[in-house]
Amino acid sequence: MEFAGFGTWLAAFLTLAAFSFLYKDNPFFRFAESLFAGVSLGYYVGNVLNQTLVPNLFEPLAQNFGTNWDLLVPGLLGLMLYMRAAPRIGWISRYALGIYVAYYIGVDFTRRIHGEVLPQIARTIRPLNSLEATTLVSLIFIVGVYSVLVYFFFSKEQNAVTRPLARLGTSFLMISFGAAFGFTVMGRVALLIGRLNFLILDWIYPTIGLQ
Amino acid sequence: MQALLLRLLALDRRWIFLLVLISVMTPIIVPIGLPVTTTSSTRSAFDFVEALQPGDVVWLSFDYGPSSAPENDPMAQAFLRQCFIKELRVIVTALYPLGGLGLANQSVAKVTAEFPEAKYGVDYINLGYKDGAAAVMRTLGQDIASAFPTDVNGRPVSEFPIMQGLRTIRQVDLVFTASTGLIGEWWITQVYSQFGTPVIIGPTAVSAPKYYAFLNSGQLVGMLGGMKGAAEYENLLAAKHETLGKYYRGTKDFTATKGMDGQTVLHGVILALIVLGNLAFFLTRGKKAGAA
Repeated sequence: MEFAGFGTWLAAFLTLAAFSFLYKDNPFFRFAESLFAGVSLGYYVGNVLNQTLVPNLFEPLAQNFGTNWDLLVPGLLGLMLYMRAAPRIGWISRYALGIYVAYYIGVDFTRRIHGEVLPQIARTIRPLNSLEATTLVSLIFIVGVYSVLVYFFFSKEQNAVTRPLARLGTSFLMISFGAAFGFTVMGRVALLIGRLNFLILDWIYPTIGLQ
Repeated sequence: MQALLLRLLALDRRWIFLLVLISVMTPIIVPIGLPVTTTSSTRSAFDFVEALQPGDVVWLSFDYGPSSAPENDPMAQAFLRQCFIKELRVIVTALYPLGGLGLANQSVAKVTAEFPEAKYGVDYINLGYKDGAAAVMRTLGQDIASAFPTDVNGRPVSEFPIMQGLRTIRQVDLVFTASTGLIGEWWITQVYSQFGTPVIIGPTAVSAPKYYAFLNSGQLVGMLGGMKGAAEYENLLAAKHETLGKYYRGTKDFTATKGMDGQTVLHGVILALIVLGNLAFFLTRGKKAGAA
């Protein structure tokens, strides 16, 4: 009989401990939950240190300070963020935060406009002058977008014209929520399948000598 | 009948959990091999890769962590197999902070072991992980070596033949991102929209609905939605390439196609429970469980 390794047994125990919550709350679940939170945080801190700070800041500064001295600026901005912990000098962190927010607005602004807003508007504006199957799809698409926009227009009270349109928009929204929910169920089931595959194929079968 | 339906409505939810467990476990122990139909979004992704020529450069980004590995691993590995069988040059990166690099290393090691003729640095390279995905993608449009000066082992990328003459992501023929969260979206809205590099996305099923908007607007070449999309891709590969057909039919490893057995059985159970629950609710409306 061939036994699975210690890591597999530990992973199997933690998986079962997590699943045990489905029966009821218990110390094994609490232990697994706390361990997971702690390990995740530790991994993230180690990851940032080894993959970001060391290769991008510490090493370049240590190896060639004359060329890379400008890296002190982002390093200092990062340190300034932690000033929030000291109430008397907490205001310093706002400057770093302001630069950080401004940077991402600059990066994101172009991305949002060219990557989302303009292409999506262009897709909505379709010619309806020919009788093809795609014309019908485009028509449904346009009615859907328009009615949902009417539903979300809160600046004016709905009247006899806009109320039915808004109701139609609600139907389109419900259909999209239903599709999203279906996909979510599929995603969660996939994770369950992944865990059960591990338990059966990687833990139980080798332990009882089936593989 | 009424008493039975009332008891059904008051059923302890843990019995349903047990039913879900049995429904998913059974096909793992006794595989059924249910058919998987192909959607147009997966087909278009597959056809695009098939149309690439040997020597073309593709970029495979592992933008997910262990929490979605059962969905994303099979699609990334299927894509990698297709690249090697078509002799495409593959650049691997990981932009997801929590475990993306570990999963990339595992998948690359697994698939390259199946293709011993693929040479590191010539046919593929692993550039490793880089933090700040949005900023990384922006830099890739200007200079790849600035974003990734070294490979995953710390060797300068200029040493590798695969990187010779490759300066920006504009020269890459395709980006494939297996992703969870926002990183996949950034490949579309930043790399495709600003640099014009075609993008295929393999999102988790939870994220898939939002990408249909990008698919409809022509910003995506194709999409592999969750485990179902990965299973479709595996089936297309198996049908097209005999070597991969043998692999997918014979492997004992987990594949998305095997996972879809459990998905299908459980979805049937869920649908039956929804119908049963609604029937019980409407037929016993106005009656209390205590009256049974």
